[in-house]
Amino acid sequence: MDMITIPAVNMTPIMPEIFLSVLAMALLLINVFVPSGQKSYIGYISFIGVIAAAVLVGTGWGMHVESFNGAVVQDNFASFFKMIFLLAAGLAILISDQYMVREECNHGELYPLILFTVVGMMLMAAGTDLMTIFLGLEVMSVSLYVLAGFNRENRKSNEAGLKYFLLGAFSTGFLLYGMALTYGATGSTRIADIATFAAQQSLPSSNVMLLAGMLLMITGFAFKVAAAPFHMWTPDVYEGAPTPMTAFMSAGPKAAGFAAALRILLVSFSTMQADWSQLFWVLAVLTMTVGNITALRQDNIKRMLAYSSIAHAGYCLVGFTAGNPTGTAGIMFYMLSYTFMNIGAFAIIVLVGKKGEPNGNVMDFAGFGFKHPALAVAMSIFLFSLAGMPPTAGFIGKFYLFSGAIQKGYIWLAVIGVLNSAASVYYYLRVMVYMYMKEPTEEFDWLQVSAPIALSLLISVTGTLVLGVVPSIVLQYAQEAIKLI
Amino acid sequence: MLGTYLPILLVVLIAIIFGLVALTFSSLIGPKKKTALKLSPYESGCAPVGTARERFSIKFYLIAMLFILFDIEAVFLYPWAILYKKLGVFGLVEMGVFVVILFVGYIYVWKKGALEWE
Amino acid sequence: MIPNSLPILTILVFLPLACCLLLLPAWKRPRLAFSLALASMLLELALTVGLFASWKGLAAVQTALPGFLLLEDRSWIEAFGIRYTLGLDGISLLMVMLTAFSFCVAILVSWRAIKERAVLFLVLLLAMETGIMGVFLSLDLALFYLFWEVMLIPMFFLIGVWGHGRRIYSTIKFFLFTLFGSLLMLLAIIALHLFHAQQTGVVTFALHALLKTTLAPHTQLWLYAAFFLAFAIKFPLFPVHTWLPDAHTDAPTAGSVILAGLLLKTGSYGLIRFGYPLFPQAAHILTPLFYTLALIGIIYASLVAFAQEDMKRLIAYSSIGHMGFVAIGIAAWQPVALSGSIIQMANHGVTTGALFCLVGMLDERAHTREIAAFGGLWGKTPLWSFFFLFFSLASVGLPGLNNFVGEFLILAGTMKSSPLVAALAFGGIVLTLIYMVRLVQEVCFQEERQPLELTDLVPRELCLLALVALLNLWMGVHPAPLLDLIRTPVRLLIGGGP
Repeated sequence: MDMITIPAVNMTPIMPEIFLSVLAMALLLINVFVPSGQKSYIGYISFIGVIAAAVLVGTGWGMHVESFNGAVVQDNFASFFKMIFLLAAGLAILISDQYMVREECNHGELYPLILFTVVGMMLMAAGTDLMTIFLGLEVMSVSLYVLAGFNRENRKSNEAGLKYFLLGAFSTGFLLYGMALTYGATGSTRIADIATFAAQQSLPSSNVMLLAGMLLMITGFAFKVAAAPFHMWTPDVYEGAPTPMTAFMSAGPKAAGFAAALRILLVSFSTMQADWSQLFWVLAVLTMTVGNITALRQDNIKRMLAYSSIAHAGYCLVGFTAGNPTGTAGIMFYMLSYTFMNIGAFAIIVLVGKKGEPNGNVMDFAGFGFKHPALAVAMSIFLFSLAGMPPTAGFIGKFYLFSGAIQKGYIWLAVIGVLNSAASVYYYLRVMVYMYMKEPTEEFDWLQVSAPIALSLLISVTGTLVLGVVPSIVLQYAQEAIKLI
Repeated sequence: MLGTYLPILLVVLIAIIFGLVALTFSSLIGPKKKTALKLSPYESGCAPVGTARERFSIKFYLIAMLFILFDIEAVFLYPWAILYKKLGVFGLVEMGVFVVILFVGYIYVWKKGALEWE
Repeated sequence: MIPNSLPILTILVFLPLACCLLLLPAWKRPRLAFSLALASMLLELALTVGLFASWKGLAAVQTALPGFLLLEDRSWIEAFGIRYTLGLDGISLLMVMLTAFSFCVAILVSWRAIKERAVLFLVLLLAMETGIMGVFLSLDLALFYLFWEVMLIPMFFLIGVWGHGRRIYSTIKFFLFTLFGSLLMLLAIIALHLFHAQQTGVVTFALHALLKTTLAPHTQLWLYAAFFLAFAIKFPLFPVHTWLPDAHTDAPTAGSVILAGLLLKTGSYGLIRFGYPLFPQAAHILTPLFYTLALIGIIYASLVAFAQEDMKRLIAYSSIGHMGFVAIGIAAWQPVALSGSIIQMANHGVTTGALFCLVGMLDERAHTREIAAFGGLWGKTPLWSFFFLFFSLASVGLPGLNNFVGEFLILAGTMKSSPLVAALAFGGIVLTLIYMVRLVQEVCFQEERQPLELTDLVPRELCLLALVALLNLWMGVHPAPLLDLIRTPVRLLIGGGP
């Protein structure tokens, strides 16, 4: 009888994933075995777990290990993105506890779900096989659907969960269909094999099935990163989901979508760059413009940040369009900056809100600046960073992305980008106008800052400013990370 | 290349046409004698009681979902069982991990009280 | 003498910012905070005056760049080739002195006027000083851009929080206008840097390196247009000036002093330091446009100023007119006219700053700035009226006071290259005379129109104004030291000359 030869399996590339999965499962069990009410410590354990996973990822920096027959890889590209996911998860965990207690939906499952999401995102970034990437995407998405609807007593949260689920499933269909067509055309789901196949074609874009597969995959990813015209779900989901989860969703999964799309397009379809970069040009312009113009008219601050998040995806798509090392590293740097500044801004929103968030409008920030000066300064830093003002991370990020576009000769794209950026300043300034220039209508006396949120704010502010003033410490990693692609 | 899919397309087309033809002809040719008894809905030969749009208890859905989950996971055990000898120790360990993960889910569901009817 | 080992330029830029931290413990004690902030600003002023006193000694020592008295160069963001390069030449020294001086004026004039949120006000003022100092000293385009944008943020809050009237509208308008222009300049900076990298393989944003980039005429024109737009908005030149009257009118007095005294100068300074040297051919091609816009600005602003009811708004429009002269001097790009422009930048900062202070002091007492509300102030508040007359005459360009020097040099220089422009600009001076004389006449000399209880200047205000007046007089009577200071840089910029 022949034994089936099992290829030697190297577990190193997925150590962080294994670690987090086991931890999440353990926490699920711990959660059901301890009396309800005491749930905060699960958050603390998860936070420590996230740090430990970050250490694991960090120790693998610089190594290139392929495993599982070329389905997963450990390279700097994956590690950089994994760090972003872990950062987003860590910050989201820190701001969750106070919020969930306030909203009376302090179920312990929250933290394991966040960890599972991270595992999914990590697989997306590390996957070198369409199947792995899809698997990661599903693990991420399913957990996120639950997280979006986590506040079961709240109608808006329910709506968010359902909407996200339906549209997410829809977009997954596109993605999977694209993957199937690609497999049909090339005979392999491995990214490297697809690249080899495409390279052998004299004119890959004349292969209709391959082209259709690529386009459908792009559509699927465009849904996930909320690029216009596939952004319709974003505002409702971001508005309805529990605020810490909105913060997490706007940073982590978006970065994961970019990571997978970058790897697939830059490796598999590098010979077809002329085709997809045109498409991304249009997507980028639409996304930036739709996001910014619509954000101008929003009164609900979560909704405004949702549209702003669409716009920020648009800036990243500028880097995508360029598709050169500068643009690609720009996306990575930008997503890292965005994680700091956006989750920071959401942390402030968590603090300002009352139960059920009846005061979620920009106007409800009236006079905040002088009632809570330190928090308001932090919020201003985040908003200026989102607006792309120096000396903050947002400025360096935009600088990087637009440099990439200009380098490739996409001058008009860059011009449209900065004009959008100028328009976006208006709605960020509006929040500050209310914070500092309007008379307070509230005393903000319900506001309490718990230690975890204070820590998350400290991390966010430090990150936003450090990346803005001395970006070199991260830039070199971003540049190393894209070398292998 | 796409040509290889042509037979499938043909089968689908034939199926659609067959169905349409059968339905059309039976409604055209068949005799229609409507009586009150014939037009009334029935359930397994019994006269209907109450409204059909009753809400089921959510417990049914929960149980059904759990059943499907564990059922589908259990399906994976079959191919492993068939190839058990060829896969050897490695297969055993892998399947052990798989079952442990399933078991975690089971305990979770159990402790959450999802298996209790009342 | 200042020892050379100290990073003086860095201290100059970041001393105010460091002082912000010092203010935090004084959060609850605004008076102490005011004293601390004033002390740091005076220290800053002393530092610049010290530099001025020793500039000839510094000039004797050759630095890496010709014409520069002091240079500091450190690596910053290596991945982009951005360096932390600060340099001081005669022009920047003049601007830096003006900056330090204007901030002292701004804080002194706010001494009693700012009662609420005083510490935040001071923090913003100090942060702003850092930004403006940075703009005048940066020699790396990316660094320059960074400071250029940073200085907007404090101004946004200064106008929005402590302003009057439609302050929110004005401050957003100010912010968006200036940001719009500068973002396009950012793209141009990036493009220029990439062209340079393509040609030489050296990734850098350093001004002196980028000066050597050869550009196709077409490209040069586009890039210059982006720079020009950014600077023109700050200047402000005619069609993009509309933010200025609003911002000035609604800003607190200190904000107006800084807007008029410094922010407008960053536009002209940028054009002198970056716009013309980087894109000489393009600048030459666009000179007629520049002249036209400047002339329209002078005449239009003067006519509009004549129709103003609000004193502050009138002076704001007069600023547009005066900056039009500066623009003409730059457009001529000729040693005498350019020297005139640079001197005029300082002069306008001093004179118009003082006028804004005077109006602010009146506003504090009467709570109105309507010209129609006043009259006969010469009898009621003689000291105030004296200074008002003095600075109005300076603004008009009375010989012996500072504006005369600048305007004379500008017109003399321009006369050589384009007599028509000079003649038309001269007409602008006459218009200035008309509206300023009307203003002084209506406010100081007419019959009293409303019974207002006004007190005259208090000693603090008197000292402040007397000092500014003396400075004004000195700059008018004996401008030679300043002209000496900028002679070498101007010669190097234009190539040849006096």
